[in-house]
Amino acid sequence: MANKSSRRDFVKRSAALVAGTFVLPQIFPSSTFGMGRRTAPSDRIVIGSIGVGSQGMSNMMDFLKLKDAIQFVAVCDVDKRHLAKAKQTIDLANKNSDCRSYGDYKEFLEKEKLDAVSIALPDHWHGIIYSAVANKKINVYGEKPICRTIKDGQTIVNAVKKNNIIWQTGSWQRSLSNFRRGAELAINGRAGKIKYIEVGLPDGSKGIGTPPVMPVPAELDWDMWLGPALKVPYRGISHWDWRWILDYSGGELTDWAGHHIDIANWGAGLEHTGPVEISGKGVYPVEGIFNVPVEYDILCKYANGIEMRVANASRLPMRLGTTWYGDLGWIHVNRGDIISASDPKILQEVIGENEIHLYKSENHWQNFIDSIRSGKPAIAPVEVAHRAISVALLGEIAMTTGQTIKWDPEKEEIIGNPQASRLMSRPYRQPWALPTV
Amino acid sequence: MKKHYLLLIFAAGLLTFFSACKNETSYKTLIITGQNNHNWKASSPVLKQILDETGLFSSEIMITPGKGEDMKTFNPDFTKYKLVVIDYNGDSWSEKTNSAFVEYVKNGGGVVLYHAADNSFPSWKEYNEMSGLGGWGNRNQKDGPYVYYKNNILVTDTSAGIGGSHGKRREFLVRTRITDHPITRDLPVAWLHGTDELYSQLRGPAKNMQILATAFADSAAGGGTMRDEPILMAITFGKGRIFHTTMGHADEGGGPSMHCAGFIVTLQRGAEWAVTGDVTQKVPWDFPSAVGVVLRPDFKEMTLDEAFAYIGNYEIAKSTKHLSCIQSHIRDLAGNEAGLLEIEKRMVKVLRDKETTVEAKKLLLRELSRIGSDYSVPVIKELVSDSELKDEAEFALTRLQK
Repeated sequence: MANKSSRRDFVKRSAALVAGTFVLPQIFPSSTFGMGRRTAPSDRIVIGSIGVGSQGMSNMMDFLKLKDAIQFVAVCDVDKRHLAKAKQTIDLANKNSDCRSYGDYKEFLEKEKLDAVSIALPDHWHGIIYSAVANKKINVYGEKPICRTIKDGQTIVNAVKKNNIIWQTGSWQRSLSNFRRGAELAINGRAGKIKYIEVGLPDGSKGIGTPPVMPVPAELDWDMWLGPALKVPYRGISHWDWRWILDYSGGELTDWAGHHIDIANWGAGLEHTGPVEISGKGVYPVEGIFNVPVEYDILCKYANGIEMRVANASRLPMRLGTTWYGDLGWIHVNRGDIISASDPKILQEVIGENEIHLYKSENHWQNFIDSIRSGKPAIAPVEVAHRAISVALLGEIAMTTGQTIKWDPEKEEIIGNPQASRLMSRPYRQPWALPTV
Repeated sequence: MKKHYLLLIFAAGLLTFFSACKNETSYKTLIITGQNNHNWKASSPVLKQILDETGLFSSEIMITPGKGEDMKTFNPDFTKYKLVVIDYNGDSWSEKTNSAFVEYVKNGGGVVLYHAADNSFPSWKEYNEMSGLGGWGNRNQKDGPYVYYKNNILVTDTSAGIGGSHGKRREFLVRTRITDHPITRDLPVAWLHGTDELYSQLRGPAKNMQILATAFADSAAGGGTMRDEPILMAITFGKGRIFHTTMGHADEGGGPSMHCAGFIVTLQRGAEWAVTGDVTQKVPWDFPSAVGVVLRPDFKEMTLDEAFAYIGNYEIAKSTKHLSCIQSHIRDLAGNEAGLLEIEKRMVKVLRDKETTVEAKKLLLRELSRIGSDYSVPVIKELVSDSELKDEAEFALTRLQK
């Protein structure tokens, strides 16, 4: 144990040493430190996971692919079925039966000595658990969107900064070449001066009506699953489908903000600011337990004159993905290695030595581990993730209130609208509370 | 006395004047029916109700002679109407009636073609130009191309084959293809339609036609072309405008296709556009989305009064539409403090009502957390001591910062 702890401290100390030398996360050469090198067991990053449902398992598999760069030692989940599956997977990879399982994240954090935690939880839990892990000075790979409310996000950002940990948001599109290339072309003016950005996120889909109350499965700690959210009886909806209920998520809009809005910000130099005016219109379900907007169309105006429209894909000519429109043309990126432009020549452009070169990562999970070793910020830092989700959350407020929201991106405050300002946070059910950082 | 008498006359005059104005603004509408391979006795009164409900139309139903009877007696004066709705699929009209109808449309008359109306009159050239696309009646390549979307691309397909088919009746997803047309402006881009026939493989001259919405005819759902088939169309003919909806297969009393809020609202909007070229009707709060079909039991939009009359009965697994109705009114009242206070007062009244269910109170407390003012704080404070409502009451008070 002592051995582990001293190695962990070493990793931290070296991280702290280097951290001070990096200021802007935007312009970095590729990060390859520690890659392709065989790591001694004592140098492995000791990692655990909170939340091992679908996305948590997916991240775990990506970390396990890094083989001896990491050592997966413990998992935590409120569903024993998830825990059993995750432990089995890890034990198989480690060729032993040592993986420890927890149902309560507090016990997990207390007992485990970790360098890093991979976290994939419903959004309503992010504020509390991200801050708690950061306050333990453990590095975080955290799923997007990083928060359910702007207040949650502010708390998380402060906790990460104060504790000087390495943070990687699960905005893995940043580590794919087409997205980086598109953003780099855009930010270097290859479509001209950017005036307008369109961000297409998925359309909402069919509902499930109004299911009755039913018994909670024996394996699920329902009260813990709800955590800070208002207590409601179990109606067969927890894993995955929390995305369609406003208590836990803002729907596809907030679920995908950490992808295509994040990329939009990256290519337009808006990573560290926010809009000044937000308006929007949503289509809400008439019936059923699912109550997130199933269609949405949000317009954000920035102080520098850029306008960004975020809408469900079917409303937009380019559908899913990010499109930057400049005064000379447009550049579009989407999943499936898609990159296109108004003129194919734009895509052949070379970025000169003295132009902006965006941070390059070829593996999002490796980049996190590399950053822990180097102390250099990861490719998707927390403030940037907070700015991306803030766009969607402000859009949500505009749609809910039916009003045009004025926003101060410096102070992160809604201007002159107390009723809308209330919606920047959600009260927590006692005894849960955000930590005061 | 004389003065009062004069005042009375003046008042009566004003009344006449205003009612005359009202008559002028409601468009005289003729619904033609009487022969159809569909249940026209069920559909035509529903069409009348749906149109008249808007206050924009005053419609009358005209029944043609029956099948095989002398059609010469069917000779309406189309010029008396602003809108003609065709709920007819039967014997040819007389040459004289056809010419009068063509003149009416050419001169700017509005037309709505409903469901099987596009089966009608396969050999009447001008009528087929008005419908854009039609089906059955031995239609094939001689009548014009198939028009549909495939992989989001508009296709005009001249290949040989029958015109008109439909698979099993089903709910289907309607996709708006033109979002800035007056009829489809502000509508969701995707919405589920109540169980209906999905007309497919329509073909016709397709001149001066815009396809406003399509639906995917999935073969897995019981016979389909695997194409996105035209569902709503806007056509111009001379100075006239034609709105063509393929939806609305009628059962007794209308059935789910006609009770569908999406069918009702697109018909109302299409009819207004056919008359004026624009749409002034607001998209109602209950327009369906991709989440699910919305049926209006009596073809009418639920009012806020009805929503407040029922919200207090809410229990889990019951319909949530009354809450949705209140929420949509709240969004519409953005920035209107007096209007929002009115709603707040009504919510507080239900909250105080002993008959109101616990689940309804929980919903209302959540809403009050968003729009509440000092007005609701005292009553919410009282509810903190109610063990069943404590969490929601505290939630609301925290938001209201009291």
